[in-house]
Amino acid sequence: MPLLWYALLGLLFAGYLVLAGYDYGVGLLLARRDTPAAHRAGLTALGPFFLGNEVWLVAAVGILFGVFPTLEGELLSGYYPAVAAALAGVILVTAGVQQRSRPTGPADRRRWDRVVVVGSALAVFGWGALLAGLLQGLPIDTYGHVAGQSHLATPFVAATGLALLVLVAAHGATFLTLRLPTADAPVTARLARRLLAGSLAAVTTAAALGLLSDRVRAATSQPLPAVLLLVALVGALVAARAALHRGRPGVALAATGTTLALPVALVGVARWPAVLVSTVDPAATVGVTDAAASGPTLQLLGWLLLPLLPALLGFQAMCWWVFRGRTDGRAPVYW
Amino acid sequence: MDTLLLARLQFATTTSIHFLFVAVTLGLVTLLVGMQTAWFVTGNPQWERLTRFWGQLYVINYVLGIASGILLEFQFGLNWSGLSRYVGNVFGAPLAIETLVAFFLESTFLGMWIFGWHRLRRGVHLALLWGVALTAYASAFWIMVANAWLQHPVGFRVRDGVAHLTDFGALLTNPTLGMALGHVIAASLLTDGMLMASVSAWHLIRRTADFALHRTSLRIGLVTAALSVSLVQGFGFAQFGPVGDLQPTKFDAGPTADARIAEWTTRFGPGDYTPPVLSNVGLGFMILIGFTLGCVWLLLPLLWRDLVIRLRFPLWLTLCALPLPFVAVILGWLAREVGRQPWAAYGLLPTDRAVSDVDPGLMLASLIGFSLLLGTLAVTNWTLLARHAARGATDPALGRPPGVLDDDEPRPARAFA
Repeated sequence: MPLLWYALLGLLFAGYLVLAGYDYGVGLLLARRDTPAAHRAGLTALGPFFLGNEVWLVAAVGILFGVFPTLEGELLSGYYPAVAAALAGVILVTAGVQQRSRPTGPADRRRWDRVVVVGSALAVFGWGALLAGLLQGLPIDTYGHVAGQSHLATPFVAATGLALLVLVAAHGATFLTLRLPTADAPVTARLARRLLAGSLAAVTTAAALGLLSDRVRAATSQPLPAVLLLVALVGALVAARAALHRGRPGVALAATGTTLALPVALVGVARWPAVLVSTVDPAATVGVTDAAASGPTLQLLGWLLLPLLPALLGFQAMCWWVFRGRTDGRAPVYW
Repeated sequence: MDTLLLARLQFATTTSIHFLFVAVTLGLVTLLVGMQTAWFVTGNPQWERLTRFWGQLYVINYVLGIASGILLEFQFGLNWSGLSRYVGNVFGAPLAIETLVAFFLESTFLGMWIFGWHRLRRGVHLALLWGVALTAYASAFWIMVANAWLQHPVGFRVRDGVAHLTDFGALLTNPTLGMALGHVIAASLLTDGMLMASVSAWHLIRRTADFALHRTSLRIGLVTAALSVSLVQGFGFAQFGPVGDLQPTKFDAGPTADARIAEWTTRFGPGDYTPPVLSNVGLGFMILIGFTLGCVWLLLPLLWRDLVIRLRFPLWLTLCALPLPFVAVILGWLAREVGRQPWAAYGLLPTDRAVSDVDPGLMLASLIGFSLLLGTLAVTNWTLLARHAARGATDPALGRPPGVLDDDEPRPARAFA
């Protein structure tokens, strides 16, 4: 039973990275020196999906709190700076995208665009740092006390954060290639291909630093599946690039989405059955069953929430279906 | 500075800001449902214009509600890891339900509602707004279930120092839940009634365009405020009974409170078990504001033959009263939450065991950083709200027909070249 919940937690967080990933990707691309109209077109492309994307994070944290209360407290407070940075980023993007077009002056709008760029960078880097931090373990003792936060200051954490930034930017450019009017597609496709090449380099660097890190090697209990998932990630990057080359942006978006979901799967699988690895005391390592809430709570949430999941996904799918296709002169504009 | 005080300050700041925005969200969505349903039923374009005008203000206000809400949700884990460690089995359940049943759906519906004008069938579009409203109420319900549990923990058994859920039904029938939920919902409606009446009063004082539209808003606002202020008072005073029985230390010192403190001293060791005086002062002022706002009933007879508009001074009174409900909701929240001190979960988990074991420096940085961030965003959001309220209902961006060019930005054929 806890395994099922753990998979659901992973699914929700991966879903968040994939969906909000293109929000942040489009957000990062606002840093390019484009016309105000191009910025507006990018935000219009996000349009109706934006609000439904970021709530996947809210759902993931809800499951984390309700189903894995022990993990929640230790995970969030143990990786405080990474989580706080990501959170600040999420708040900035939320406020920036939604308020950006409410003032009509171009200077105000440019200022909000910068808020979105900074927010997207912070959010993505923060989540990347958290994933890397999970892979290298936490200096936590059996009382739940974490010795300082310097454990996050490693080259692996920085490299993973940067790699996720490039991945997300490539994902955003691919999304725009699929969603903007056909006339704009070649420009964004070229940009996406360049960013995908950059992602390949960034992912390789992060992977190499991870393999060289003693802490990552010590925390990894399932090396073979982890390496296979890494290979799949690289494969998805290559596939995305090829699909863009052949003018298949839909396939490319699925592939770039996969590159954002796989890191979550990798972090979950590599340390299995541990969910929080202690680097100072093996007894303090938290396993998936220790982290889960007690029986009655799981039962209650299972009866109440699992039947609801199809409805939740159904309404999201309705949103994708209603607003599918490329944006054109008749697309609703609001952000 | 110790970590505990900093964490409490951060929670108080975030919750207060959150509350100012969600109070408006909850009440306004209720009134919007009424307006859009009226439009659907009567087909009168005046209702569409009202829905677009107030809908735009609703959507702007919603931004900060969601931003501060996400921060609050994470704060439990960041700053209060003891809460999840010791009582997470029970307290986490209603919060998890709230995120999935309410928050997740509410945002999904709202995204479709904002972009669904002229795109979806009118019935579907209206149903989406109903969905937003129902999930907003569900959200308020589950959050109050969680909060009521912290006020009066029920339905659990402690094993090895950790609380385990035994009876979920007890959480739903918690005596500190029902009246408080009614009070909060009525307070939101009161806040929105006053907001709607004040914004319209401003337009009517300035004699801007759209007299008929603002006249309707003013009437809706005043009637909503009058009905809800009585509910606020009723639900408010009804709480003194259960609170006096279950949380004797909250508002008054007396033999029951002393007995409870003596019991805690034997169980948890000596300590200061009386809440700060702030909660009582807040309560007093809130009640005063509640009675003052009750005078809105006196304005209702003036709705006859538009006396309320023609006499002018009632418009000024309404406008000047706008800050009162906002001050009152903050004071009420402080009374409820500060009155729970020094407990995170009343009589079960003291705040010093609930707070995270992080460095005070880090906590201070987090407090300053997030307060500045949220404070700045709140002020810019209110500025935007005020500007859009002042601009009136001539051409809100929400629900603008497709193809109409936006403000100052012509859209070229190739945008991303």
